Amino acid sequence: MNQAVISCLHANLPAVEAVLKDIELQGITNITCLGDLVGYGPQPNEVIELIKDKKIATCQGCWDEDVVDGLDACDCSYPSQIAEKRGHFAHQWTTEKLTKENKDFLANLPYSIRKDKCLFVHGSPNSQHEYLLPDMDAFAALERVENAKAEILFCGHTHQPYIRELANGSIAVKVKNSGSKDIQKKEMNLPMRRIVNAGSVGEPRHGGTKATYVVYNDITNDVKIREVEYDIELTCKAIINAGLPPIFAWRLKNGFEFAERAEDASHVCER
Amino acid sequence: MIERWALISGLKGDLDTYELIQKDLKKTPGNITLFVLGDMIGPEKNCNKLLHRLINPKSNDLQPWCIYGWWEEQILLESGYRGNQRAEALRINKGEEVVKSLINAVDKSFLDWIASLQFGFVELDCGLIHGSSKDVGDDLTLDTPPLTLLDRLTRLQVNRLFTARSTQQFHLELTEGIVHSEVQDLAGNHKKEQKVPQKAVIGVGAGKNYTLYDVGTDNTQFVQAGYQLEKKKNGFGLHL
Repeated sequence: MNQAVISCLHANLPAVEAVLKDIELQGITNITCLGDLVGYGPQPNEVIELIKDKKIATCQGCWDEDVVDGLDACDCSYPSQIAEKRGHFAHQWTTEKLTKENKDFLANLPYSIRKDKCLFVHGSPNSQHEYLLPDMDAFAALERVENAKAEILFCGHTHQPYIRELANGSIAVKVKNSGSKDIQKKEMNLPMRRIVNAGSVGEPRHGGTKATYVVYNDITNDVKIREVEYDIELTCKAIINAGLPPIFAWRLKNGFEFAERAEDASHVCER
Repeated sequence: MIERWALISGLKGDLDTYELIQKDLKKTPGNITLFVLGDMIGPEKNCNKLLHRLINPKSNDLQPWCIYGWWEEQILLESGYRGNQRAEALRINKGEEVVKSLINAVDKSFLDWIASLQFGFVELDCGLIHGSSKDVGDDLTLDTPPLTLLDRLTRLQVNRLFTARSTQQFHLELTEGIVHSEVQDLAGNHKKEQKVPQKAVIGVGAGKNYTLYDVGTDNTQFVQAGYQLEKKKNGFGLHL
């Protein structure tokens, strides 16, 4: 059966509506959301209401967590001081706009959702703030899936959709200086695992302007990345009218591949 | 001159053992650097004399290079050095009495020094940490899955990781590894084969059990304080 996985909606209502429409047109009713319902975009309450209304299973993203906890991502999450200032402003704006009910909703979202062999998280099983980029060390990537006791790990956070298969792996180990005359050696085969990044509905950073999400077939194990057009102008106008930094609109309109993250993507902010 | 590291941990206020190790090391050939991988303190005995000695070494002592361990983290938590967090894991697992004993075992005047200690050292291509690059409480042993060990090495971008948290002594080499990675994104498919260069995780032991590491040959010797002379006649690095 096909199921859809969406992530990083970022308060962009026209994009969310377009993606949900695309999912509906395919006859898919099973949807999982990987969080970041809010942040950057102009319609945080509207997006949360829509997700609640559709009863979409959702885990908590880094923005959802930060807004609820009254935390700003620290400077290690931003590539520059001006980006940090804009991020903090968007955080403050979102906090002021959100209703208490919607803040409570975000506060009660789970860190992860498990369905059989699939684990759904925002960043990684370790943290909502960890980026699992497509080119990260293959063994470290495999460790994230294996230690989470999953076969397929669905994540978001990077805003770049991809499907990564890690297969035919093995590691050989040798115990030195064990006190035994025999050198203890063993080799173990590593299981095949997959990481699926759902990209971003509300703030794509893959180099295009279309919203992205993935469709997973739990019988065939096929995963497809979907791109969906939406009314970008509408969101851009709403960003300007809301008084949010105009660069957020410019970024959406141009599909600028620009991730506001630290240079070391594997770094996890401990605050 | 042969370059050697002495790696100790888990003294928990035991000045006698520290003095025994210092005595051993004076008799050990080579240019020795002494690393203390945390847990200098603990709840069992008063730790002030040991802390004073570590901060103010005697003139003929090897200079100790210290990092903080799990017990130091607990006292810093409980003493308000980590914001609003307190030593809840210790409280839940060991009880309120142990929390009190720990606080009583260390004079407050040492807390700033403890708080100034680093999480770990990176020397050459080696990481020296109490737990691991993930957490000061990370308990790495011979039974830890190799993928996890590799992750801890990768996080620190080192080829050898010296760890103390488990209190065990071991030297586990990751001799080879391979994994095939295929990424499909909107630009197409990208295939890559990744191999593991030789790496190792070394458990240094605790208390009287410590480790000597020969930087030039990558050999470890697991030593018990006070037995160094007896072993010496068999030669350094002999696997007993």
